[in-house]
Amino acid sequence: MNNLPPALLAAGDTATMPSVGYGALIALVGFIFASLWIGALANRKTREGSFMTGFFLGNRGLGAWALALTATVQSGGTFMGFPSLVYTHGWIVALWIGGYIVVPITGFGILGKRLAQLSRRTEAITVPDLFRARFGSPALGLVASLFILLYLSFMMFAQFKAGAIVMKTAWPGSGVLSVNEDQKPFALSTNSLSALKEDRVPDSVIEKLTPLVGHGFSTERDLASQLKSLLTAEELTESKDRIVKRSKQLDRLYLYGLAIFSLTVVAYTLMGGFLAAVWTDMFQSVLMFFGVMVLLFASLHQAGGLENATRTALKNTGPGYVYGPGYDDRFEGPKAAPNAKTAPRLAYDAEVPREFLPLSLALSFFCVWVWSGVGSPASLVRLMASQNTQVIRRSIYLLSVYNLGIYLPLIVICICGRALIPELPGQTDEIIPRMALLSTKDWPGGSLIAGMILAAPFGAVMSTVSSYLVVLSSGLVRDIYQRFIRPQATPGELRKAAYLSMVFVGAVAVVVNISPVAYLQAFIVFSSTGSAATFLIPAIMACYWRRATVAGALAGMIGGASTVLSLYLLGILEKTPEQRIGQLTSFRPYYLCDVDPFLWGVLVSGLFSVGVSLLTSPPDEALVSKMFDKEPAK
Amino acid sequence: MRDNTDPVVRTGRREALIVVGIWLTAGIWSVTASYRLGYNRPVEELKLIWGFPEWTFWGVAVPWVVCVIISWIFGALFVHDADLGEELPEEADELGLGS
Repeated sequence: MNNLPPALLAAGDTATMPSVGYGALIALVGFIFASLWIGALANRKTREGSFMTGFFLGNRGLGAWALALTATVQSGGTFMGFPSLVYTHGWIVALWIGGYIVVPITGFGILGKRLAQLSRRTEAITVPDLFRARFGSPALGLVASLFILLYLSFMMFAQFKAGAIVMKTAWPGSGVLSVNEDQKPFALSTNSLSALKEDRVPDSVIEKLTPLVGHGFSTERDLASQLKSLLTAEELTESKDRIVKRSKQLDRLYLYGLAIFSLTVVAYTLMGGFLAAVWTDMFQSVLMFFGVMVLLFASLHQAGGLENATRTALKNTGPGYVYGPGYDDRFEGPKAAPNAKTAPRLAYDAEVPREFLPLSLALSFFCVWVWSGVGSPASLVRLMASQNTQVIRRSIYLLSVYNLGIYLPLIVICICGRALIPELPGQTDEIIPRMALLSTKDWPGGSLIAGMILAAPFGAVMSTVSSYLVVLSSGLVRDIYQRFIRPQATPGELRKAAYLSMVFVGAVAVVVNISPVAYLQAFIVFSSTGSAATFLIPAIMACYWRRATVAGALAGMIGGASTVLSLYLLGILEKTPEQRIGQLTSFRPYYLCDVDPFLWGVLVSGLFSVGVSLLTSPPDEALVSKMFDKEPAK
Repeated sequence: MRDNTDPVVRTGRREALIVVGIWLTAGIWSVTASYRLGYNRPVEELKLIWGFPEWTFWGVAVPWVVCVIISWIFGALFVHDADLGEELPEEADELGLGS
């Protein structure tokens, strides 16, 4: 431990910051070419069979590896948000993610087989397709596709921005190692403070700016008003322009990043459709598994074993780091008092610690991970594409081994991280890249390995975007164009429509991200929870309940969606008292009775679906029989 | 009427119920163990097992490994294989999607 270079211990100091060099850039370019190559491969495979099932569903031919490694919710968050939480709050995050121990078995075991069968019987290509045919109701299909288009657009737009920022930061010398997915247009990092020092901004001013580190601002005016409260009038006129310039996150490099990112993703998705999305996702997942393994052994070695790491991390923090409900930096930390008083925007009461995971939330998350995995439209589509029941069975254990090999090691790596790097103010998102640099620095080819791990979020973002692109485009082409505008469209026209819709969606995403809208992020946070709450109960009913009616499914969708939406709106608009639980974010939901909104959404959705189904007259027996009974012998 | 129900529906429903049971058991185990061993405890009593805090070991790591084994058994033995049916041949496709 003691032979660590002090440079790495003093986080965020630009002058001595470990150099990323070209490692990350090489890895990134590698990712881009690999993805395009995979797109081309998928293109050949897609051409077997009809265009629609080929392009949007890979001819229902997903094997076990593809199904297991891509059907789960994995995004840039796995390698940025999650590690940052472990680093910040400690061991308790293991319980936060605890639901993942059963995610493989629930994700495939509950709906898998039956959904795959239903999608064949109904010839469904998309999730709305399935609802429409299962309940024999075009209206239900339309509502489902509108929900999906809405949720996925929001989630995808944000990913474009994350991708662009990762590209930008991979540029050697950018001095940033990682970014938050909800990066605000203006933010001060410790790096920008050192840059200000070079700009000859007086030390006294920089000192006053320190509490702002790590906080984002949506507009220049927000930043300016914050500066006004911290600085004197003189200091303000003298340095304001320089401070604003240094805190700008969206500049020319960002626009280049956005262009390259969008072109790559749209290009390979256009070539290979669903299969391209699935295969790049799989490629990425396998690569990450090895990356995490290497990093695990390297960091355990560096920290002198896990026991030593836990004890050192505990020494660097406080008792909350090894116990529930989690460590609160601002409360227990060495600099807690002054920080707590000057921290802007986050109403913080230094008297009461923030509970990251009280019992109610521990229970909530055990349900949230499991059931949002079952109900999310992206995983429903993958199940529809699975080849046969053997594939589903094998996916269950493949994924369970994979998850154990990714999440538990990531936790251990971040605990070692807290032992080796005691503090990372405002930059906890960088913990994985920093650990990668730190633990591979003496290895031959270490910078390339580090580069690969640095590029991981980019790969994850790319594969997420491409799978959303496929679902969005299938929604536009299948559920809107073919259903309502041109039912007699020829395969050639459908192909053209699919390509056009992808280019269109990509273009809209670029335009939206040139100057991101302030409240977009709020909808994104809501979308991922909301989509699962909307579709979970209706999907279960569609699979297993003969008595379910159209009105019931419709009520379930709308009930679930609006419950989650209103709880998020209550929290975001700050109409409810600040609750001192959960993650510290600018877009918090309202935890009614301290329980996560997703569960309320599912509860309401369940009551509505069952209640309304029972109140309305039973569904057409012939239709139900076609969906539930043995197929007549031919 | 019900005897005519497709076997995939019946086995699927039964498997889904088993899985829900596994989920409930795992959840109760994990949260109870973690809460009893890991909340409101004095830090002096911290016990580490292989470097994990005691509660993480019994409440997360051990059940995780057990769940991997159960997933294996469940996937290998309990899920009934079945014919998922074929899609209609493309000529018969109501929307004329065939190429």
